[in-house]
Amino acid sequence: MSRPKPGYSAIALASAALTGGRQWRPLWRRAPLQEAYDVVVVGAGGHGLATAYHLARDHGVKRIAVLDRHLVGYGNVGRNTTVVRSNYLLPENHYFYEDALRRWQTLSRDLNYNVMYSPRGVVDLAISDDEMTAYARRGNAMRLAGIDAELLDRVGLRRFVPEVDLEVPRRFPIVGGLLQRRGGTVRHDAVAWGYARAAAALGVEIIERCEVTGVRSSGNVATGLETSQGYVRADRIVFAVAGHTGAIGTLLGVPLPIETHLLQAMVTEPIKPLLNTVLIYMYEHGEVYISQSDRGGLVMGGMLDGLPSYTREGLWFRLEDVVQAAVALLPQIGGLKLLRHWAGTNDMTMDGSPIMDRLRFDNVFLNGGWCYGGFKAIPASGAAFATFVANGTAPDLIRPYRLSRFATGHLIDEKGAGPFPARQ
Amino acid sequence: MLISCPWCGPRELEEFRFRSVVAGGNDATAWNAPRAFAEVYERTNVPDASIEYWQHDRGCRAWLVVQRDPSTAAVLAVRLLATEVET
Repeated sequence: MSRPKPGYSAIALASAALTGGRQWRPLWRRAPLQEAYDVVVVGAGGHGLATAYHLARDHGVKRIAVLDRHLVGYGNVGRNTTVVRSNYLLPENHYFYEDALRRWQTLSRDLNYNVMYSPRGVVDLAISDDEMTAYARRGNAMRLAGIDAELLDRVGLRRFVPEVDLEVPRRFPIVGGLLQRRGGTVRHDAVAWGYARAAAALGVEIIERCEVTGVRSSGNVATGLETSQGYVRADRIVFAVAGHTGAIGTLLGVPLPIETHLLQAMVTEPIKPLLNTVLIYMYEHGEVYISQSDRGGLVMGGMLDGLPSYTREGLWFRLEDVVQAAVALLPQIGGLKLLRHWAGTNDMTMDGSPIMDRLRFDNVFLNGGWCYGGFKAIPASGAAFATFVANGTAPDLIRPYRLSRFATGHLIDEKGAGPFPARQ
Repeated sequence: MLISCPWCGPRELEEFRFRSVVAGGNDATAWNAPRAFAEVYERTNVPDASIEYWQHDRGCRAWLVVQRDPSTAAVLAVRLLATEVET
């Protein structure tokens, strides 16, 4: 059991500056795998680490391990485009993501780690009057739930995002938008590191390069996990493996309503401050969401590649789509070069909403199916899922995301796209 | 990345559209509610083997059955859905 680390503060920073930084220690201890734990969490990404942190902090669970086949934060928590928002139409979604957004607002203080939450606003741009009607409906649904939303006409848009020249001729002219001011960005690596540090300070053991290869069971109860570092016994097992959730179903012999698809992201070379918000510009065959990082690069993403893949190698034509949409939106960035480009695996469900439920065994819990929206959900998911694992009953906030909803027809299909994961 | 259309020969992936994963068999006599649910919603995610419906929708518009390896993106076999012609 490692002792809690001294907290970060202005005094700690000043004293470290005077002593050459010798007092800084690694954020978490590299632990060897023990024989048995109360809870083993598989996946040291945002959801796994947050779940472990809340199990230790809120429910007093003592022996917790978080295993990862690679490194902390190597997966989707470090591959997304860092956007947080709660601008959903359906009540199940907007209450859940609003819980997350409220937690993002105080997370730096809660973890004693600066995650750089930046409420710079998120604007969904509309390209037709019909879309404005749909945005008005979504905004009203949010406001009825106590969530901030503002419908912007062209005048309002010009005032809020002067960088977007609305007079530029575009194939899909911009007529307005839906703004959520408290939406914005959070530095994603800091989220992984902050949760890992805070969990480790509470005694959670983080074991990297430990791949799970099988589950041992006895009747309705799983007894432990086969891993690349040997067998480990566990009273309860949590899977939070993002893009490989479908493969976990296959490992346990349970087909899941999930396909794994690729999503690309890219960043330009850094430039001086240009964009003060997050813009989302979508039309029939293309899409871009774009924001400027604190380093100055323009971070962009778009649609899924559109076919099942685990390769993490994005396809060229989708990269072109995203860049074309970005340049159509902001012609002034046309001369910039791309600095980096990458892809992540997304566990796409049949209704575009996550799955938080037991899986096959009474003591095996699945936190997955996050599609491309997992990052913004991390604080709410961690807190609610820890309650589920500790008490055995899912809190109201996440009960709609049960696995049986597909069989009973209680789908949460925000996009109304039907059972086609590639279109969600 | 190329897909070899039985009619058109090797063409860029961009010409094709992935439609859905082939979830079950194609024995139409065995249809019932649980079977239909499984066909629509359930996926056996084996990372190195996937059988899928594709369409050459920016080409000859033929529907295809494509066997792929999603872990390497390799296309293993392509045949026409209509005639089951091996290529």
